[in-house]
Amino acid sequence: MVVTGESIAFFVLSMMAIGGGMMMISATKVVHMVLSLAFSLLSIAGIYVLLHAEFLAVVQVLIYTGAISILMLFGIMLTKHHVTEEDDQSPRRWHPFLSFLGVGALFAIIMGVIYQTPFANNEEVTQSYSLEALGKAVFKQYVIPFELTSILLLVALVGAVILAKKEADS
Amino acid sequence: MHAMTFIGPVILLGVVLGFVTMAILFERKVIGWMQGRHGPNRVGPWGVLQSVADVLKLLLKEDIIPHQADRPLFKWAPIIAFVPAFAVLAVIPYTPTVYFADIGVGLLYYIAISSITTIGVLAGGWASNNKYALLGAMRSAAQMISYEIPLVMAVIGVIMSVGSLNLMTIVEAQKNLWFILPQFIGFAVFFVASLAELNRTPFDLPEAESELVAGYHVEYTGFRFAFFMLAEYVYVFAMAGLTTVLYLGGWNPLFGMTFIPPIIWFVFKFSLIVFSLFWIRATLPRIRIDQLMQLGWKVLLPLALANIFLSAILKEIPWIGQFY
Repeated sequence: MVVTGESIAFFVLSMMAIGGGMMMISATKVVHMVLSLAFSLLSIAGIYVLLHAEFLAVVQVLIYTGAISILMLFGIMLTKHHVTEEDDQSPRRWHPFLSFLGVGALFAIIMGVIYQTPFANNEEVTQSYSLEALGKAVFKQYVIPFELTSILLLVALVGAVILAKKEADS
Repeated sequence: MHAMTFIGPVILLGVVLGFVTMAILFERKVIGWMQGRHGPNRVGPWGVLQSVADVLKLLLKEDIIPHQADRPLFKWAPIIAFVPAFAVLAVIPYTPTVYFADIGVGLLYYIAISSITTIGVLAGGWASNNKYALLGAMRSAAQMISYEIPLVMAVIGVIMSVGSLNLMTIVEAQKNLWFILPQFIGFAVFFVASLAELNRTPFDLPEAESELVAGYHVEYTGFRFAFFMLAEYVYVFAMAGLTTVLYLGGWNPLFGMTFIPPIIWFVFKFSLIVFSLFWIRATLPRIRIDQLMQLGWKVLLPLALANIFLSAILKEIPWIGQFY
């Protein structure tokens, strides 16, 4: 394997994404968890840039930073702030071992599937995928699924408003 | 790789820092002038060195971290807030030759990256472990979410008539007519929403000093505080640049006066926007929090949507269509 700038960037970004995920699991405070999640998601945006999917990367940042701030607000508002996290020395000692076993099995299965799946050997040329081509695909070729999705989202939005309104009235 | 790839950003940082020191002085002078005062006039001739002295003072101050604060996050928050402020400058084209990154989704990049700063503000407000700081941070997040939507909707009119998100192409498209004329509603919405994104008066609720002491940075001192302030003024630089590029034709000259070099035209329009920001600060009182949400959702958003419809319809009308 040839070590290029791209592969170094990929390794750094993927380590950052995985590291963010691990910090998210091991952190004890809600805000720390949310911030590590943000770190992980932003690193994934970096991987999109490497794949020449600039639009996707930018949208990832745009959507997830908003989502992360909202999540952080709810994390702050809905959890107790001053209570120090008690060390839960759980009596269930076998849990770490069992979960390690489960995770290891899952990892083995996923890696097995990945290695058995035949990949088409030709490399896709991603440089030529422009924003214009994406727009044409979404608004010409796939316009009906796109519009249906937007209606679905609208219905969900209206439903959420109605649910919130009911609670406010009672 | 070019040598300029490495030197260019350093020069830009120098220019931005110079702009920030001068902008703070200029702001105080302009506000002083509008209020019938002199403004700073003690340090150096005409008070020129006032900001330099202020920055020096901030850097020499004791660095205090509150005992109850979340130490790592308290230290990280100013960095999270500042880095995006400088990163967005990469996509702004200053002249046909002076630009840093000519990427296809430049406009969206700016909007996306600039929203990361809110996470820094929120983290700083929470990590301070102070109720005023937390309230300021909460307000900042609410304001960012509410005003980002009209901001994005307002520029859709421009994007529709150019057919590109690339800022260079957007400037090229304004050779004959700047977008401030055909897209005037869009410009008005964009300008108001950008004031809110910049957290400047009349939208400075996240740091409203009369009600929240200083909002999200109440516990910050010394150079960490300086970083929050720096981020704010770098955003002034970036947002004035973006407004110039989107609506005032970037480096394009007025009335074909091409003997003035493009960079001078850019700086001139840019300074006009910066001056209006200071002008608004000197003349308008702070908006109330309930009015803030109403203005965002009930006035700016419908106006921005109406602008999109109007642009789409006018684009199809025979003679008028050439302007859209």
